[in-house]
Amino acid sequence: MTVLGGIGFTAPWLLFALLALPILWLILRAVPPAPIRRRFPGVALLLGLSDDETVSDRTPWWLLLLRMLAVAAIILGLAGPVLNPEVDQASGDGPLLIVLDGTWAGATRWPEQTAAIEAQLTRAGRAERPVGFLALSRPDAPAFQTADVWRSRLAGFTPAPWQPSAENIAKAAEIMRDLPAFDTLWFSDALEYEGRDTILDTLQSRGSVEVYQTAANVLAIAPAKYEDAVVKLSVARAASGLEREVVIRAEGRDPAGNARILATSVATFDASETTATTELSLPSELRARITGFTIAGQRSAGAVSLVDDALRRREVALIGSDSDREGLQLLSPLHYIEQALAPTADLIDGSITDVLPANPDVIVLADVATLADAEAEPLLEWIAQGGMLVRFAGPRIAASDVSRFDEDPLMPVRLRAGGRSVGGAMSWGEPKSLAPFRDTSPFFGLGVPDDVVVSAQVVAQPDPTLADRVIASLSDGTPLVTRKVVGQGQIVLFHVTATAEWSTLPLSGLFVEMLERLAVSSTAASPEPGDLAGTTWTPQRVMDGYGVLSDAGNLPGVDGADLLSSAAGPALQPGIYSSAERRLARNVFGTDATLTPASWPSNIPVRGLAVAPEQPVAGWLLSLSILLLLVDVVASLALSGRLLQRSNATLLKVLAVPFISLALPADAQTEADDFALAATADVSLAHVITGNPGVDEIAAAGLQGLSDILFFRTSIEPAPATAVDLETDELAFFPILYWPITPDQPRPSSEAYTKLNEYLRSGGLILFDTRDADTASYGASSPNGAKLRDIAAPLDIPPLEPLPSDHVLTRTFYLLQDFPGRYNSREVWIEAAPPNAEKIEGMPFRNLNDGVTPVVIGGNDWAAAWATRSDGAPLLPIGRGYAGDRQRELANRFGVNLIMHVLTGNYKSDQVHVPALLDRLGQ
Amino acid sequence: MNTPGTLRGTNPASLRADAEDQASRLPALLARAEHLAGAVLLGAHGRRRAGMGDDFWQYRPAQIGDSRRMIDHRRSARGDQEFVREREWQIAQSVMLWVDQGASMRFASDAGLPQKADRARLLGLALSILLLRGGERVGLTGTALPPRRGNPQILRLAEMFCQDDATDYSPPEHRAMIPHARAVFISDFMGNLDGVQTALTKAADRGVRGVIYHVLDPSEEAFPFTGRTIFESVGGTISHETLKANDLKTRYLERLAERKSELQQLCALTGWQYGLHHTDASPQSALLWLYGALDARAGVAA
Repeated sequence: MTVLGGIGFTAPWLLFALLALPILWLILRAVPPAPIRRRFPGVALLLGLSDDETVSDRTPWWLLLLRMLAVAAIILGLAGPVLNPEVDQASGDGPLLIVLDGTWAGATRWPEQTAAIEAQLTRAGRAERPVGFLALSRPDAPAFQTADVWRSRLAGFTPAPWQPSAENIAKAAEIMRDLPAFDTLWFSDALEYEGRDTILDTLQSRGSVEVYQTAANVLAIAPAKYEDAVVKLSVARAASGLEREVVIRAEGRDPAGNARILATSVATFDASETTATTELSLPSELRARITGFTIAGQRSAGAVSLVDDALRRREVALIGSDSDREGLQLLSPLHYIEQALAPTADLIDGSITDVLPANPDVIVLADVATLADAEAEPLLEWIAQGGMLVRFAGPRIAASDVSRFDEDPLMPVRLRAGGRSVGGAMSWGEPKSLAPFRDTSPFFGLGVPDDVVVSAQVVAQPDPTLADRVIASLSDGTPLVTRKVVGQGQIVLFHVTATAEWSTLPLSGLFVEMLERLAVSSTAASPEPGDLAGTTWTPQRVMDGYGVLSDAGNLPGVDGADLLSSAAGPALQPGIYSSAERRLARNVFGTDATLTPASWPSNIPVRGLAVAPEQPVAGWLLSLSILLLLVDVVASLALSGRLLQRSNATLLKVLAVPFISLALPADAQTEADDFALAATADVSLAHVITGNPGVDEIAAAGLQGLSDILFFRTSIEPAPATAVDLETDELAFFPILYWPITPDQPRPSSEAYTKLNEYLRSGGLILFDTRDADTASYGASSPNGAKLRDIAAPLDIPPLEPLPSDHVLTRTFYLLQDFPGRYNSREVWIEAAPPNAEKIEGMPFRNLNDGVTPVVIGGNDWAAAWATRSDGAPLLPIGRGYAGDRQRELANRFGVNLIMHVLTGNYKSDQVHVPALLDRLGQ
Repeated sequence: MNTPGTLRGTNPASLRADAEDQASRLPALLARAEHLAGAVLLGAHGRRRAGMGDDFWQYRPAQIGDSRRMIDHRRSARGDQEFVREREWQIAQSVMLWVDQGASMRFASDAGLPQKADRARLLGLALSILLLRGGERVGLTGTALPPRRGNPQILRLAEMFCQDDATDYSPPEHRAMIPHARAVFISDFMGNLDGVQTALTKAADRGVRGVIYHVLDPSEEAFPFTGRTIFESVGGTISHETLKANDLKTRYLERLAERKSELQQLCALTGWQYGLHHTDASPQSALLWLYGALDARAGVAA
């Protein structure tokens, strides 16, 4: 490769062709544009006419320049230019080992690192060096293969969510000692870790070492702490430097369960500081939903801090037996529980029925004996769905018969009558202390202070199930705390009071710890390793090096002590661990951890990752030349006057169509809104679009004419009529749909039928008009009638009958007995009267059905009779002479009656009762 | 018939295809021409005097010399006098058409415009139909189709009009002109005017009068060309190259105007009428003008 001015050429001799450009200029210059051949009969008149200009036409200079540029671009492109040719790096031969730290610290810059590795692979491939890979976080004996093989496998390398451990280092050093001599490229993640020097020494003993590492600072976030009602967050950076702000995002789930960012906070590193802190104040509901904190813009496991129960504040409802008693605070049965829970839980007061809708985590009943059924039932349901009921005994429970003979559903055990008291003035024996907790108990591992004594308690009846339900007992074996599992929840009974009356338990620290273990309260601080000794934690979800959580699958459980203290590794992957009800987050970056930047000896060359890769630009140049030639085509056409010919103009229009459609964004939402606004601002009559332009036009004109009549004669003042497309338009806005039937109209889609049925059920009226009353009566097999049957079959239409003479339609506004349109047929069908409608003696009309008939079916072509031109004159002739005018008038009256009926329902029918009502009032 | 179609027609395989092609054009031309002609309502152009004819003219008292069988008994039976029924003297005029079939007529500057030949044939046939319905005898100049009357002549005319002529600019056919007949020449008159002059002089010698109808394409009037262009005649026999077509425009238009005025002068000399028609104009108005021109002259001739 020859390098000229920073650009390499693979075929430099081709550049000599550039010398030919001036010659080409001279040749092209003399050639005029090609002529157009035209057929033109008038040529006979042209014969003998010569051009004025005798100088031959020449190509304009700018067109020539364009062509020159295009040719130059082709020549340059074919010469194989390469940007950033790599010529300055020393190259060796022999095997090349690429060592990766492969830790989370490099995850954010992983794509850059991959690109840099690929550039090195390209180089090694050119030098035909075998390449091996070794990731220090997951050391495996490298296989030396050609660079091309590795390039295809490069995408498979992912960062590990831990730093290389001592084991990893030892194994890697061992592997390297077994290999023949090699040169090393070390892609470091720029973080110091133990044993890095060992590896470096080993590598240097095998061959030359070059180090590549990113210049970007490594950031990590420590686990969040909840103190003083705020969430405290701290972030660390490896190298101090300028002042820098990082955004910390609290991620969690919204109430609908979708992952989203719940809050953000900005932490600012002061100049030359390596840690920054920030605080986040959140409502407890929001806080409880947080699943983790991440640093914005970072994509590594270190920039993710998972959240366990530490931030979660449980909601505990406290219900005492006598909340209305104005006694001394210290005598309140809830006082000690409040004191124990207040720092770590959100307390709710109120009655059971009040607090249950808030769905608290725990309900504490202190000496509450019986509950009403209305309280007990929802309480049981709540427990079965995962609630925890904690009950404390007391004088009331001891005195009551609750759970005496049959086990109360809200009690874990049966109780003996009266309870017992030990060590009192009237009894023998000493107050009893607690027995150590058994290993099946949730309290296992808690120390029992000596000063906790019980002087009175309620006693459980011995039952077959009792032994399973005891989770704490006195030194004499008497159950002290019993528990029953109900559904997904549980009921726990402390057999002593929640006050210090019966025992000293509420006064001790053990009480708080017991509540913690029961997950009534949650720990405020991270647990100490000692606290978790002996417990086993199973991974629920684990993180990869990028900080992405995935299901843990069947990874083995981890000892509680190791979980907190051991270094992360394949056996202890960062993630969420759980043990019974408790969850613990193991994060990559611990609370007290620090980040130390890697420092390299001066004899090791350290390069950045930002290696500009070799970039062949031949493709770009060739594309440029094609573009120039296209411009040349357009320019040549323009010059010769052929660009804007008719045929080309069409082509241009076609090409412009996408841009025009881009420029006119169709806003369907706005259209629908406009339609709804226009239809609802006033009453608007509507007709169905049949697809037959003539019929639709008459329908529109008819409804417009009817609207005008209504406007002049009645208090209905309709807006202009609307044409409704059943498929797309909303029907609910219209009181009436006029539907002329044509034999060739399409059947509506099933969605349209759904809409129509909804419209009919919600009080709409459809006026079907077969428009053939002159030739066919309803039911006869006219094409329109058949079409109507076909269209109306899926509609929810009640039984019909011919319009009876006492129907309300005959008198809603005008008194009518005929309903003519353009034709005068008496066959108009409406919803049938209920079978029990009887004519009452003395009443002119039957008391017919309430509401509006959903359909009116006829064939009188009413729209034609109503139709007016824009000047108000009738559009179509009706009948002959005066009789015709009369018929049109009656048609108009029918229209008025119909709309009145639609809008007022059976109001006129009710008027029938006025005499009876007046009669009754008079008495 | 020396069209390419008939030459290829010697091949039996293509004979039928050619025949069908030719036949398919005939009804279309006929239908359009009938349609066009149907829009003109004709009055019988009677001679306004008694003579041979179908229409009633007058009753006149029988005179000596009238044969007995000429007496109209229905009229005579009303009175004592005998009447003879006279019919109007209706004469038939011979009209000879020449529609330019040359290649130069087969040109349309735009796909939306008809070819000049199309328009010329349409006008010619529609005019023939009108004249034939009016009882005139219509034929072509030359010996191919002498004037005859009656509907069959329409078909014959249509058939003749469907033949193309390969020559670029064909001169008017002026042979076998019937003395004192009428003639209609429809062409673009782009070729040599000598032929036209000969024809018109000859016609004037024989007392034939008529109409010269000049059919032009809009582009021939506007000359909307630019750039380096080679103009070719439709037949390909003549070509002219120019480097700047727009420079030629004024001189071309001058020549065209000159040609029109020459034609008009010729017409004025020989008593013919000159009409100009562009293919983008309505054929209806052209037909009306043509018919009116002929009719007006007919009135004068009578």
